[in-house]
Amino acid sequence: MPEPSTDVLIIGSGHSGGMVAKVLTEKGISCLMLNAGPVVDFEKDRDLKPAYELPYRGLKMPGRLEHVFQSTEFNANTWVDEKEVPYTYDPGKPYNWVRVRLFGGRSLFWSRQSFRLSDYEFKAKDHDGFGENWPISLADLAPYYSQVEEIFQVIGHPDGLPQYPDGNFVVDNSTWSGAMQRFIAAGKKLGVPVCKARSAMGRDGLASSINLLLPDAFATGKLSAVSNVVVRELTVDKNSGLVNGALFVDRHSKREMSVKARVVILAAGCLESTRLLLNSRLANSSGVLGHYLIDSLYGPRIVCSVPEARDGKSTPELMEGDALIPRFRNINTKEKNFIRGYAWNVWGSTGSMDPRNFADYGASLQKKLDSYAGSGFEMSLMGEVLPYYEHYVSIDKHVVDAWGIPVLRVHTQYTDNEFNMARDAVDTGAAMAEAAGFEVLSKSYEPNPPGYSIHEVGTCRMGDNPKTSVLNKWNQSHDIKNLFVVDGSSFVSGGWQNPTMTIMALSMRAAGHLADQIRQGNI
Amino acid sequence: MRRRDFVKAIVAVPLSANKIFGQTAKVQDGAQTSSPQSNSPGTAPAGPAVTPEPVEQPTFNYRTQTITTIIPDAVARTEGHFFDARQMATLQRLGDVLLPPLNGYPGSTQAGAPEFIDFLIGASPADRQRMYRSGLDWLNANAEKQFGIPFAKINEEQADKLIRPWLRTWVMDQPPTEPFVRFINIAHADLRTATMNSQAWSIAAVASGERTPGIGMYWSPIDPHIQMYV
Repeated sequence: MPEPSTDVLIIGSGHSGGMVAKVLTEKGISCLMLNAGPVVDFEKDRDLKPAYELPYRGLKMPGRLEHVFQSTEFNANTWVDEKEVPYTYDPGKPYNWVRVRLFGGRSLFWSRQSFRLSDYEFKAKDHDGFGENWPISLADLAPYYSQVEEIFQVIGHPDGLPQYPDGNFVVDNSTWSGAMQRFIAAGKKLGVPVCKARSAMGRDGLASSINLLLPDAFATGKLSAVSNVVVRELTVDKNSGLVNGALFVDRHSKREMSVKARVVILAAGCLESTRLLLNSRLANSSGVLGHYLIDSLYGPRIVCSVPEARDGKSTPELMEGDALIPRFRNINTKEKNFIRGYAWNVWGSTGSMDPRNFADYGASLQKKLDSYAGSGFEMSLMGEVLPYYEHYVSIDKHVVDAWGIPVLRVHTQYTDNEFNMARDAVDTGAAMAEAAGFEVLSKSYEPNPPGYSIHEVGTCRMGDNPKTSVLNKWNQSHDIKNLFVVDGSSFVSGGWQNPTMTIMALSMRAAGHLADQIRQGNI
Repeated sequence: MRRRDFVKAIVAVPLSANKIFGQTAKVQDGAQTSSPQSNSPGTAPAGPAVTPEPVEQPTFNYRTQTITTIIPDAVARTEGHFFDARQMATLQRLGDVLLPPLNGYPGSTQAGAPEFIDFLIGASPADRQRMYRSGLDWLNANAEKQFGIPFAKINEEQADKLIRPWLRTWVMDQPPTEPFVRFINIAHADLRTATMNSQAWSIAAVASGERTPGIGMYWSPIDPHIQMYV
């Protein structure tokens, strides 16, 4: 039988894979999508249950998903099991690699915070001399952001701040809660802006590749998709040096298969795409493949109580609503002990408070919980993590996954810049809360392990110089012109922003460029 | 029909139950005696030396009835095997002190939380097991030292002296790290979750007017788990 061939092979089905599939198929280009996990049926696979019916009363199976802090016994079956696909690290430098292999990937479960990067990120080196600039600027990406924001129905308010670029929003004209008004006033005195949060509403309650991107691609008749196949490595034409397909294995039966393609697009998530390239020994003439691993600094947090909302006096008008403090450090000022900056997510709630916020027990604790219910006001940090060559992933030849594919070893840790940033953030945030008249109940300066934010980016960074970057400004390999990597691995710097909107804008732009190249006969 | 009545009904009419399960048993027997080559419906099993009786084939007109079951905790107690007797007595007293019954809601003991924690920690990684065992031993040793009696026998005032200095506030995903402090705060959180996620708590919550106590969206295994294949 002749070996089957496809125009474009897309590996991965999340936000980036879904986006390139949509753009390419709508331009008439045939695509084949491979995904390592099964398709979800929301009706069949989910059910409301009381915790007491679960085997571990909602406490999770011990030892399972220890690096997925986000996992619960209710959702444990949605994450990649570390026993199935292990990874390794120095025990003193733990890493939380949080993965989903269901069709649609992490787009099924993301937090939906939707931000543009600004030129404080794209041109970061120009501001403080550290690292590299991106080969593109906000102006290059803005038209794509606008289209993505339309598809994902991003609600937000234009604020006119250069570090918090406005977008194509469903405009949020909601009023601030009473507590937030006090917090905003406290921020003004300290020079800290408090803005409306920005979030993808999606459609029908979902903002995923599987409902906003892939249906359009399938509707063209140009997309085929295979689930439950794990790609082992890419294959190369020895004469041209171009990639010409992939070897993959059936997740269940372990049957080995191969497929040919004119173009290969990796969209498996930053670290899986990088692992695939490292295992394929491709696209690394620069020597930086796998290096400059970054994510977002998460973990520092402040929990407060608004005294006026206690003892049954909480109302939605006083308490409900969220806000975002965009980066304000190192914009017009220069901090002494850290570069770049951080943002805070801020929200008030009329719900009950977590008992962790009270060092008490028994009837006395219950009395406090009753009194404080509805008065909770919280802040959680999102800080920029600096890219270093020394923070990288490599192949661990001694460990393989369930299909015999060598796994990743992660070498990374936070540095003084992140720790100093966290200290400034928590001190500033707590001062704002206290100035607003809130009681600070608990706070932490400690980052969670790297990876926790699920914002891993940077290991196939883009750049104009093939000696210092893996991809060009079109997410195309410098070494192999028919190979593209469209997930977050192309990032040059991370910023404080959640990366999803940028990943989708970049993948939309890359797919448009690829379609042009195919039409012009260059690929 | 209330759940309990339905259970009684099943027990009271074993004949009907046997009919249901008997039919299943025949299907299984037929499958076992059929040769691999002739297992199509209605075909008598092949075999040169035996003349088997015709196999009664299931009609499958039966539509699956809703059979309501209960969780074992409703009728049974967890048999703990992990902690020794003194550790278990300490854990039970700790549960009583931290989570007494309040306002019509069950406490740790009524929810069977200590026994559940015994099961949970028995199935846990070694570092978590060590933390619990050494923490319970520490509590008991200090009760003996300060009050001359086991922790299981101390009163609330004595317990407060042993526990309160170690309680901390902490934020999500970041329990305290100092050895004993870590134990007491995590044990408190675990006992609380095991209590509030018990059926006993749920029944009390419904009686108090809560609509969906402890209800969450559960994801089933979406695909046969990989451990079947590796």
